[in-house]
Amino acid sequence: MTQLILGQLINGVIVGTLYGIVAAGITLTFGITGIVNFALGAFMTLGAYVAWYLTDHAGLPFPAAVVLAVLATMAFGAVADQALFRHTRNNLINGLLVSIGLISVMEAGILMTWTATPKEMQFVLPGVLNAGGLVVPKMKGLVAVVLLAVVFATYAALTKTWVGRAAFAYAQNPEAARLMGVRTRLLQSGVFIYSTGLVGLGGALYASLYSIDAGFGGTYVLKGIEAAILAGIGSVGGALLGGILLGVAEAIGSIFLPAAYKDAYGLVALVLILLLRPAGIFGGSK
Amino acid sequence: MRVLPWVAAAALLLLPAVVRSNFVLTMFVFTFILGIAAVSFNLIFGFTGQLSMFHAAAFGLSAYVTHIAMTRLGIPFWSGVACAVVFVLVLSCIIGTICFRYRLKEFYFAVVTLAFAEMARLTVLNWNSVTNGSLGIAINEKATLWVPGAGTIAMDNSTVWYYVGLAALAVTLLVCHRVLASWVGRCFGALRLNDELASTLGINVFRYKLLAFMIGNAFAAIAGALYAWYIGFIEPEYLSIPQSLALISMVLLGGSASLVGPVVGALVLTALPHLISLSAEARVMTYGAILIFTILLLPRGIWGTLEGLRRRVQGASATSVQTLVETPVQKPPEGAPPPARESLGQAAEVR
Repeated sequence: MTQLILGQLINGVIVGTLYGIVAAGITLTFGITGIVNFALGAFMTLGAYVAWYLTDHAGLPFPAAVVLAVLATMAFGAVADQALFRHTRNNLINGLLVSIGLISVMEAGILMTWTATPKEMQFVLPGVLNAGGLVVPKMKGLVAVVLLAVVFATYAALTKTWVGRAAFAYAQNPEAARLMGVRTRLLQSGVFIYSTGLVGLGGALYASLYSIDAGFGGTYVLKGIEAAILAGIGSVGGALLGGILLGVAEAIGSIFLPAAYKDAYGLVALVLILLLRPAGIFGGSK
Repeated sequence: MRVLPWVAAAALLLLPAVVRSNFVLTMFVFTFILGIAAVSFNLIFGFTGQLSMFHAAAFGLSAYVTHIAMTRLGIPFWSGVACAVVFVLVLSCIIGTICFRYRLKEFYFAVVTLAFAEMARLTVLNWNSVTNGSLGIAINEKATLWVPGAGTIAMDNSTVWYYVGLAALAVTLLVCHRVLASWVGRCFGALRLNDELASTLGINVFRYKLLAFMIGNAFAAIAGALYAWYIGFIEPEYLSIPQSLALISMVLLGGSASLVGPVVGALVLTALPHLISLSAEARVMTYGAILIFTILLLPRGIWGTLEGLRRRVQGASATSVQTLVETPVQKPPEGAPPPARESLGQAAEVR
């Protein structure tokens, strides 16, 4: 039993880092552009498909495929930003609806390009890590480590660099930031595109672990929003922790409670958090 | 000038006598039924300014409850619908109370209603003994209708459904019109524009938001039962997020500032996929593209844009004072609340 719980705990943490990276994308985009980008799920799917295609069909080594997949999602994100989201800045409802429309367009495009058959990528890194009777596939461990590193790098960049501090300043007071010489439009576009890159990376790594289909990003974006709200919107590190918390809660919860309702536990937690502690678990008490 | 609505009504009433095509009638039946759902959604979204994601859930749950009431209690269709409406009213009263007591707004209201809708969908999907899970329910119990002079007739052809749908839509429009024209409707408008200001004016924000939410969901319940019985099948997909999005698309495309706009949106989105033959993927893509296109380029929707054009033509001929008096205050172009700047710091405070 202990082994089962520990195993599920590790699984939860790994899935949780995936939730966390989506949550980080959601939180960043919302904080700087005022848009809740539901389409980040579709960008994640796009990253996964490009990585799968480049590895299994174009024969590129997996790391190169991941880098190209991230670049491809960011390029697509740049187009979406300039063509669509530039016009819905700080208009929550319109941005939400445009991003929802974009999901349909992107998912249909993916289905048309790569058909509806789920895709399985060949093993990138076979073998398992065996630590005290606990078996973790090496690839899962690697993915979790990469995602953790990327979120921490993002956090460090936000707190330590000029651009990061400019973003914080902008989030606190847009007018003042503009007066201080922050190029706000560039900042907004940059953050939007960076967020699509983050989830593109998440998707590309996801493709190496699980089979992918055109709709999986939709589930992840809901989890990402849950995680972001659980942690308190606006904190990148918190988003990661929120994601891990959600992943672990689901994994452990499905041992003791009916697994069919796995997705509902996060929702119940989400509603309770919003009602009782709207600033989130890690947000400062108001 | 007030002739046009009567002509349209007469044309709709006489249509089945003239058009024999089952295809056209079917399309209109779907337009009417989805139109009820879209109009009632717009009561919550366009007129009261609350983006509810629970509408498809009310729509789908009602189909299930109607079926359960009919099979378990052995009651006729319309009594089953009444049970479903009561069920949905009670449920939306509970959910609405939770949301509005805690003053959830905008995005947070949308997220929490979405969470409740997903919980409802997961319940329906997994409660196999009652709902038959993902397989759905094929409906064997025929709907019947009592017609004065003809007795009880089975609702089994498109012409009967056409008139039932039309009558239901007319009742929905009439009720919504009466509500919106009254003091209650003014309160809804005040909440949409600025609910804090509304509360300082003595409007009970909680009560009127809850009222709008409950009325809207009750009509969604009627639409859901009709939809399921017209198709003859119930499945958990009725409660899904895409179903909610389809309703939102209808409202935005038609125009969220008017009562009949959503019906126009329902007609276009029902007819369009049949008029141009497209693959399933291309259809989904068209839906998404229409949604984006409408928000960015046609924020007032088809109906709102036509209204605007008509006003401009009239305004050019009539004296300006006359138009000012006769023309009701123009609503803001989009049904959405005014753009609010939410920054990282503020986001935590906005509930």
